Amino acid sequence: MADRILKKENLGKLVASVNGKGGRFIAPVLDARQVVFKDVARAEDIVSDYILARNSYKEYVFPQTEVVADFTVEKHGVDLKSREVEARETVVLGARPCEATSLSSLRAIFTWDYIDEFYTKREDTLVVITVACTKADEACFCTTVGLSPETKTGSDVYLLETESGDYIVETMTEKGKAFVERHKAAFTEGGAKAKALVMPEKIGTIDLNKVGARLKDKSHYDDQVWARLTRKCIGCGACTFVCPTCHCFDITDEGTAFAGERRKNWDACQYDTFTLHASGHNPRHYQYQRWRNRFMCKFNFYPEKFASKGCVGCGRCIRVCPVRLDITEVMEEFSR
Amino acid sequence: MSNNIYLPHLVTIEDIYEEAPDVRSFRLVFKDKALRETFDFKTGQFGLYSAFGLGESTFCIASAPTRKGYIQCTFRKSGRVTGGLSELSIGDTMGFRGPYGNFFPVDEWKGKNLVFIAGGIGLPPVRSVIWNCLDRREEFGDITVVYGARTVADLVYKNELQHWGDRNDVRLIQAVDPGGQTPEWQGKVGFVPTVLEEAAPIAENTVAVTCGPPIMIKFVLKALEKLGFSDENVYTTLENKMKCGVGKCGRCNVGDVYVCKEGPVYTAAEVKKMYNDF
Amino acid sequence: MEERLRKKAKELLESGEVKVVIGYGWNRQKTRTSPVFITDAAEVDRLVWNPLCVNNLSIYLTRKFKDIQALGRPAIVAKGCDIRNIVVLITEAQFKREDVYILGMACEGTVYRQELWKGELKPEIMPTKCHNCDVRNPHLADFVVGEKSSFTPPEAPAGMVFDKIKAIDAMGQAGKWAFWINEFSRCIKCYACRQVCSLCYCERCITEKNMPQWIETSAHPRGNLSWNLTRAMHLVGRCTFCGECERACPVNIPLNLVNQKMIQVVKDAFDFRSGYDEKTHPPMIVFSPDDKDDFIK
Ligand SMILES: Cc1cc2nc3c(=O)[nH]c(=O)nc-3n(C[C@H](O)[C@H](O)[C@H](O)COP(=O)(O)OP(=O)(O)OC[C@H]3O[C@@H](n4cnc5c(N)ncnc54)[C@H](O)[C@@H]3O)c2cc1C
Ligand code: SF4
Ligand code: SF4
Ligand code: SF4
Ligand code: SF4
Ligand code: SF4
Ligand code: FES
Repeated sequence: MADRILKKENLGKLVASVNGKGGRFIAPVLDARQVVFKDVARAEDIVSDYILARNSYKEYVFPQTEVVADFTVEKHGVDLKSREVEARETVVLGARPCEATSLSSLRAIFTWDYIDEFYTKREDTLVVITVACTKADEACFCTTVGLSPETKTGSDVYLLETESGDYIVETMTEKGKAFVERHKAAFTEGGAKAKALVMPEKIGTIDLNKVGARLKDKSHYDDQVWARLTRKCIGCGACTFVCPTCHCFDITDEGTAFAGERRKNWDACQYDTFTLHASGHNPRHYQYQRWRNRFMCKFNFYPEKFASKGCVGCGRCIRVCPVRLDITEVMEEFSR
Repeated sequence: MSNNIYLPHLVTIEDIYEEAPDVRSFRLVFKDKALRETFDFKTGQFGLYSAFGLGESTFCIASAPTRKGYIQCTFRKSGRVTGGLSELSIGDTMGFRGPYGNFFPVDEWKGKNLVFIAGGIGLPPVRSVIWNCLDRREEFGDITVVYGARTVADLVYKNELQHWGDRNDVRLIQAVDPGGQTPEWQGKVGFVPTVLEEAAPIAENTVAVTCGPPIMIKFVLKALEKLGFSDENVYTTLENKMKCGVGKCGRCNVGDVYVCKEGPVYTAAEVKKMYNDF
Repeated sequence: MEERLRKKAKELLESGEVKVVIGYGWNRQKTRTSPVFITDAAEVDRLVWNPLCVNNLSIYLTRKFKDIQALGRPAIVAKGCDIRNIVVLITEAQFKREDVYILGMACEGTVYRQELWKGELKPEIMPTKCHNCDVRNPHLADFVVGEKSSFTPPEAPAGMVFDKIKAIDAMGQAGKWAFWINEFSRCIKCYACRQVCSLCYCERCITEKNMPQWIETSAHPRGNLSWNLTRAMHLVGRCTFCGECERACPVNIPLNLVNQKMIQVVKDAFDFRSGYDEKTHPPMIVFSPDDKDDFIK
């Protein structure tokens, strides 16, 4: 059977079709000299020459700020209203195969016994359209964590770029099939030759099983190796904000003394106040202890507790780090 | 939203008790009448209490599940939310979500002796267990309570301490830190771990429960070990900073253990097996 | 230069004069530099020096880094511009001159961002600060590494940042406001700009004061503006235009424009430029981190 094709010139049709049906179309665009995922109204704004968007698209399922309730404080008491998530089709075009696998990790957390419907309702209506990578940079290390540009799990629709700038379409899930069906006017049939995919070189010195085994041996918490490798971390948290699997947040009230909103705001284990007790005691007093927690979260908590990937090898944390703290260098150390 | 896990229930402050300087207890009833009847919890569980406009704070449920129709919490004013809660009066509305976390396996303790050891503001969680056990007094052996605070004024639940002291089926030992006593003070003077060692409860067929500041817990555990208690029979609670209470926000973990979901109640044996992330 | 630096570092560590050398090293692929902390004289070969050495390492001398302070007396590899921050830290009594050994690097400029490096330092990949630098020969150091630079900065400061400031000044009130609201609207409140700045060393930043909540924690226009303005105000008369905050900002907010604008205001009003003399205190202490006043502390 002929392949389904998404022609470059039909991208506009697809954007219009999604937006026209009340959906939301997200794709990489250029903003302040960076490629970032943003809402798109015109296909011309979509960038195709990029490695990964700076931000992870997790913000469309887990927004940086989420109002969970509104309240007004009055004489007779408090009026409290729950917020509803409006489920509407949200399409992310241009995700990379590595990051597409992160949603199942987030889902594992947000459905761990208690279901966070703010997350699940958004994820239920999210269509992930992956474009397989034809370029990588030195920060990419998907192959080292067992993924590659050929990975299709996590994608609802998997696209291969063709020499002429079109896309060969493969639907991976029921959601993906329904999506293509719903917007079928934008797709055509035909044959085309895909561009060659890139294969980031596997960092040969890293064995994930060894990393996992060493982290399970609890004595490493007191090992000076953490201070040695990570004391340069300045605790800016940028690595966690861009990471597709980081899920941490704060719950806070904002507004006036009489009316306000209760919000769920992104937060991160890299900040010094994250675990600070009211007594002044902080279980993670030094920055390297906070960094240790991040590493544990990626290579112990997620895989051992939630049977999912904590790190998909997208390399965002490496690119964004102002002191170039490279997580793969720590993985190497723990692979010894 | 049909099911918003972050949405608190509204509760009315029915009564306020001044326990100690900056420490007070609220007796709370749910605005929702149906919930008032059905709400149930187990001793050791906690909740998130809201002062609207300021946020949420984590306290244990200090009342006993055997006492229905209301819950009680006791807190020390120590920050933004607790500061806001301190300004509320009887009749005011606040928020509560819970109960969360695991609990003391009181049913497993049937037929055993019980020793409760608490320091300062660590008494609230223990109080819930004490009342629970006292309300089912015949199911347990000897009950000993060792409670200490920095000064006489800092002792919380003074009325209840008196009541427990008056009962002949409870052995109550109260203490204040050296220098914290008043001329009228009848109890012991000394630190809780030392007082505990002097009281020397027998370890055989006995379960110990301890809550208080981390440093006290550390030495109480040592004292219990000396007295012959095995780590499996010693229970404590971990109080890490919490925000969600339901295993999502990622801040209460001690290594790979999420205290809000898998705690806050642990045996000393379990605590010793954790990553050194305290 | 690298050899000279390593030799001196080795001497310092072997003699025990310092316990740690804070400098630059390579990443695994040798494509980027990253801070290193050398405590063992046998490891001095990890130290490198090249135009990729952009980080202002003076951050590691501040009290935020208690585990580094615990290592003992530090030597720090510092460019002239980095030394300006060290000078400010000394004038603000964060430590004494003798508490740190300064390995001053004679400098021919760095790249604006490491990812711009293609093997050659061209003017267009250098930051504005380098084009106007008057401290290429370190002005305060215990030991200077490298040949004296003959560079003289232009009479009137020039470069991208100055051009942009002029353009913004010409926009008029409404235009200026719109420009900044738009730029700050991208702020994600990560506070990387604060964390990377050696002069933002307060143990409790005002953003973490929640009684009352001075700055809302959500990223939204009102909160962003109050954060970005607060940051700027707290750095008036102190900021040295080192550029670290702009480099660290993950959403490319042009913080250098804000900083340079403030520097010009201070220069015009008080004829003061920070970071040149460790014995002169800023003329207008608008902000003292050790102030007991609750608004600040
Ligand atoms: C399972 C569990 C049970 C608990 N049970 C009880 C209980 O029964 N009774 C009880 O009293 N407590 C209990 N606690 C502890 C209680 O949750 C905290 O002490 C309380 O939430 C802190 O008060 P707050 O929310 O007002 O503080 P917040 O205002 O939220 O402040 C807490 C954090 O804000 C920062 N902060 C706030 N103000 C300042 C300041 N002025 N200077 C510097 N930093 C500041 C600090 O980071 C501090 O850690 C329990 C905790 C847990 C986890
Ligand atoms: S830890 Fe870094 S490389 Fe791994 S998924 Fe997160 S951002 Fe990507
Ligand atoms: S604990 Fe840290 S690393 Fe893990 S999800 Fe939270 S912020 Fe990310
Ligand atoms: S981005 Fe780098 S410096 Fe910032 S918190 Fe992460 S590791 Fe630390
Ligand atoms: S340029 Fe930025 S990082 Fe450097 S001193 Fe000024 S505010 Fe701090
Ligand atoms: S670094 Fe940029 S995004 Fe982060 S707080 Fe500062 S200005 Fe905002
Ligand atoms: S309190 Fe949020 S994860 Fe435990």
